[in-house]
Amino acid sequence: MSADAAGRARPAAPATDLAPEPAPAAATGPSVGLLHPSARTPGPAAAVPPPPSAAAPRYGPARAGLLTAMAVVLAASVAAATRVGTADVGWTDLARVFGARLGLDTEPLPPLLDSLVWDLRLPRVLMAALVGAALAVCGTVLQAVTRNALADPYLLGVSSGAGAGAVAVVVLGAGAGTLGVTGGALAGALLAFAGLLLLLRRTGLDSVRIVLTGVVVGQLFTALTSLALMASADADTTRAVTHWLLGSMAPARWDAVVVCAVVTPLGLGAAWLCANALDGLAFGADTAASLGIGVRRTRMLLLVVTAVLTSVAVATVGAIGFVGLIVPHGVRFLAGPLHRVLLPHAALAGAVFLVWTDALARVVFAPREVPVGVVTALIGVPLFLVVLRRRGEL
Amino acid sequence: MRHRARTGLALTLVLASAAAAAGCATTPDRGTDRTAAGAAAARTAVTSCGSRLSFDGPPKRAVALDQTSTETLLELGLQDRMAGTANLKTKIPAQYQEAYAKVPVIAPKIATGEQLRAATPDFVVAGSTDLYTKDRAGTREELAALQVPAFVSAVDCPQQNEAGKSPFELLFSDYEALGKVFGAEDRAAALAREQRAAVAKAGESAAGTARDGKQPTVVYLYSVFNGMPYVAGRTGLPSEMSRIVGARNAFDDVEEDWPEVSWEEVARRNPDFIVIGDLSERGRPGDSAAEKRRAMAEDPVVSKLAAVRDNRIVEVPGIELDPSVRSVHALGLLAAGMKDLGYVR
Repeated sequence: MSADAAGRARPAAPATDLAPEPAPAAATGPSVGLLHPSARTPGPAAAVPPPPSAAAPRYGPARAGLLTAMAVVLAASVAAATRVGTADVGWTDLARVFGARLGLDTEPLPPLLDSLVWDLRLPRVLMAALVGAALAVCGTVLQAVTRNALADPYLLGVSSGAGAGAVAVVVLGAGAGTLGVTGGALAGALLAFAGLLLLLRRTGLDSVRIVLTGVVVGQLFTALTSLALMASADADTTRAVTHWLLGSMAPARWDAVVVCAVVTPLGLGAAWLCANALDGLAFGADTAASLGIGVRRTRMLLLVVTAVLTSVAVATVGAIGFVGLIVPHGVRFLAGPLHRVLLPHAALAGAVFLVWTDALARVVFAPREVPVGVVTALIGVPLFLVVLRRRGEL
Repeated sequence: MRHRARTGLALTLVLASAAAAAGCATTPDRGTDRTAAGAAAARTAVTSCGSRLSFDGPPKRAVALDQTSTETLLELGLQDRMAGTANLKTKIPAQYQEAYAKVPVIAPKIATGEQLRAATPDFVVAGSTDLYTKDRAGTREELAALQVPAFVSAVDCPQQNEAGKSPFELLFSDYEALGKVFGAEDRAAALAREQRAAVAKAGESAAGTARDGKQPTVVYLYSVFNGMPYVAGRTGLPSEMSRIVGARNAFDDVEEDWPEVSWEEVARRNPDFIVIGDLSERGRPGDSAAEKRRAMAEDPVVSKLAAVRDNRIVEVPGIELDPSVRSVHALGLLAAGMKDLGYVR
């Protein structure tokens, strides 16, 4: 229930981090929050974000090098992680699996071992990469939109909605035949997001309201989940659902990978096109507006994009915590606060992080498999502390 | 989508090869199905929980996904045809330990799809469909596409069973189906016959238990985890066991296997006697029979119940209260216990 714990921790944050929409002048004060130390340093240079036109980053050779290096690391990680698991898969096994599919003259693996690699391991690793990228980017976007360092992809309540939807299918059997767990989770996630938008319709989209309304919606669906579990599930079902809620890559199959592989790049592209607006929003709505950004429209677009990305990820693999929270902070540390640069780096870093944490989840307690959400939190917490320490936040 | 297409293709291939094998019928009859007419039955086929499973010959590398299935296969003497077991809940009883030692454990807990495939099974047996999900062993459809038939016990298949079959009859139908698959019909039939006789014996005195037209009531105390009692509801095996021996499960109004209730509710039902499921092999707090007796003695209300005061308590191994090849043993203990307590005239 790591997502839960984060949810409970959230309400405390806005009180200190988020004075409601500070004026640009106030943006230099401590109320700016934890987004980046440079944003808190008083002085005109830091107070005024670079104008959108100038914000087009000068990709220095170092920056481009970092991005290329991370892409190479991701490719290598996917290849290497495919070998890691309860059953060892050698490079020759991998070659035989691909050889058979490419029509090469190689001796195919026995059908069940071939299926182990092709139907289970490979989609799982690719799914980890896609979901990691999606969550990291959603976290980055939401941290800027809500100007809250504690924002993560589940801030909008979609994970709680997905949990409630999945439990409704598993425990109550509602639409078990037509929807399945994935469909139920997706429906629940989108329902939660629709609820959020409905509540925000009257109050507007300012950042504190987004955070608070997200908490409200999330808590409601968490309570419904608990109620359904306690009211009608036996111990085995509860265990199965808990495993799912913590997030596990095990159910990933090619059909889910294809859906994610279509949705994720679209979402990342949409977020990247809003990179300049995100830079402005990170400094507050008024600053953004003065820079000519349509604040309400941009926020709405970004909320929809992140909600859809997160819903698709959560529906398949559950609410994997912490990736969307720590990766943005870590990457901001490496790549700087400009979103045009930050977003692609966050996507790659999130992908690499989740590919390896899922590999660990498969083997650390072998022959048992632990939910990957447990591993992301176990590894993420110390990393988060280190990042915050080095930035002087703690 | 691609995967689905592949699955469809594989299924088509399976069906095509099945049709071809049935059509040619040149392979000699292995004697796996003596009741079927003639040589057309080269392939053995059984129906399991809504799926038709067919076999070219007796499986050589069967994997049992849980302890119940494992014990059934061991009881049928099939340890040499097993490639793995998984999900052990408690100790394997002494009579199976020697055979059990020959079978590799592919996972101490619930097996994953990777672990199952790595064991290269040609047949998979499970007590429940819950084990065949994408995040566990993989779905039955996926396994069918890989030409690995996936068997599910009839006991845990509520939609597919014909109405009115008792859990014991469903267990016996499992033995017969598995016997047919493995070509061990004789052993399976003997086991079913033996257990049917045990059930009949336990029911012999059922007619004599009623006093003033009322059968004695019983509460089955399965677990006192976290201090809350888990008792047998209407859908579990104990409800049926009570009917067989001429008692009435006091929680027959709850449509669950093992509902969690309160001690007050146990006291309100005021059962004539209590059956304790001894789970000391599981070894968690509150699992042993002694701890359950203590929990009842310490509860201010339950300790005043006549059944507790007069020690009208029957102990049975808790694991045998769930349907398995060992369940008739608990049924025998229950019948004997009722006789000792003087409920049988």
